[in-house]
Amino acid sequence: MLTLSLVDLKQSIASWRLWTLLGWLEIRQRYARSRVGPFWLTISMGVMITSLGVVYGTLFGQKMTDYLPFLASSIVLWTLFSQMILEGSTAYINSAPYIRQVPSPKLIFILQVVWRNLIVLAHNFVIVIGLLIVFGVKSWESLPMFIPGLLVYVLNAMWIAMLAGLLSARFRDLPQIIAALIQIAFYVTPIIFRPEALNRFSFIVEWNPLAYLIDVVRGPLIGQMPSALTWEVTVGMAVIGWPIALLMTGRYLKRLPYWI
Amino acid sequence: MAYIELKNVTLDLPIYDVQGRSLKKQVLRMGRRNRIAEGNDGVIVVRALDDLTFRFERGDRVGLIGHNGAGKSTLLRAMAGIYPPTAGTLSREGKVVPLLDISHGMDENSTGMQNIRLRGLLLGMTDAEVREKQREIAEFSELGDYLDLPLRTYSSGMRVRLAFAVSTAVDAEILLLDEVMGVGDASFMHKAEARLEQLHGRAEIVVLAMHSNKEIRKVCNKALWMERGRVRAFGDVEEVVSQYAAAVGG
Repeated sequence: MLTLSLVDLKQSIASWRLWTLLGWLEIRQRYARSRVGPFWLTISMGVMITSLGVVYGTLFGQKMTDYLPFLASSIVLWTLFSQMILEGSTAYINSAPYIRQVPSPKLIFILQVVWRNLIVLAHNFVIVIGLLIVFGVKSWESLPMFIPGLLVYVLNAMWIAMLAGLLSARFRDLPQIIAALIQIAFYVTPIIFRPEALNRFSFIVEWNPLAYLIDVVRGPLIGQMPSALTWEVTVGMAVIGWPIALLMTGRYLKRLPYWI
Repeated sequence: MAYIELKNVTLDLPIYDVQGRSLKKQVLRMGRRNRIAEGNDGVIVVRALDDLTFRFERGDRVGLIGHNGAGKSTLLRAMAGIYPPTAGTLSREGKVVPLLDISHGMDENSTGMQNIRLRGLLLGMTDAEVREKQREIAEFSELGDYLDLPLRTYSSGMRVRLAFAVSTAVDAEILLLDEVMGVGDASFMHKAEARLEQLHGRAEIVVLAMHSNKEIRKVCNKALWMERGRVRAFGDVEEVVSQYAAAVGG
């Protein structure tokens, strides 16, 4: 079973031209004929961060120079994670015409989602960079850790997307359930509030794996080196999650064309 | 050396209705173990292929005949590797190119040229191959400057031309065709026929499903008559097609 999915993964990665193209198409379609094109992503994200920042920064009594970069990196990175899982859950369902046409490797449809969301991230990241320039980088030392952090983050999002896509193809209620869960996760994970702000209910942060996931990518950007525990939890999740996702994919790969 | 071999291949197609697929129903089902199982897991199963055993060799030009719903398209999908068989083994060697529904796998908002690339990659061409064949495909489609316009501006005939041109540009060892005739206007039909013949010449095995007995007699040397997912007859094209014609006629 594992070999089956590993072969699929290998073939999928090899046909990178296909999934990068498919990923782009979707974005181009969304912003077809608009003047600014995909930069609408940047604009709408910028507006959202500004309004959220002003309101919640005031509510929480935060210093704007600290809070805005924190909020911007949180939201931009959370968007990457949540969209990857949401779109992952419909990845196979939406690609039904392709799957029924050609015997292509199946994981290209997940890779397509990953690629598309990395492109979106690149557009949104302009804001984070802008804010870092305006308000200054907190710590140059922690900044390079963003790269391995992002890698662990995306790898985790990817195995969840693989599972979500597979199971959603069989059980059509799942995309709705996943969307609801992601909404809840947004509120209980320290995204718009700081993790240490929840002093009385700190268990919400301590026992929330997503809090560690967001910490591993956001920390380096806002000058906080992720702790050893953060690395252990996030790398551990990937190490456990990937084999599960691959095993499940291998087991049901052959059923997939029947489900969609 | 290309071949396709089927040994006792059976293929069940599950038909999920909206409720059958829902998680709610699965969870509810868990509670009542001892009640009589509804059907097979609550999912209706259609046996599309039933115990098929045969072998296609290099040089075979096989025509699939049979009523609508006899399993011709499902058999092509199984041979293409899209539907893995439920039971039995299907082995094959050689690069398979399925041309099942030629208008699928195109993107409305991309230009003709971009669609050539998309479809080419989907059909398993490498990037270099696509670039090499782009011109030839463009010429064959006769779409000229329209290739720089998005696909949504195309008429249905133009779409078919483009799809047909790309699909038939792929080098295949095993070619699986499902009712691809009847494309475009009369002049394009002639071109398409010539192209198919040329394609048949290049491929080592060709399997095509078609309703025209005349066409099948012309291009095939063997015929497989399917009935309700089973093989009714397989052999020389003349023999099988006349049997079929007799059965249908009388």
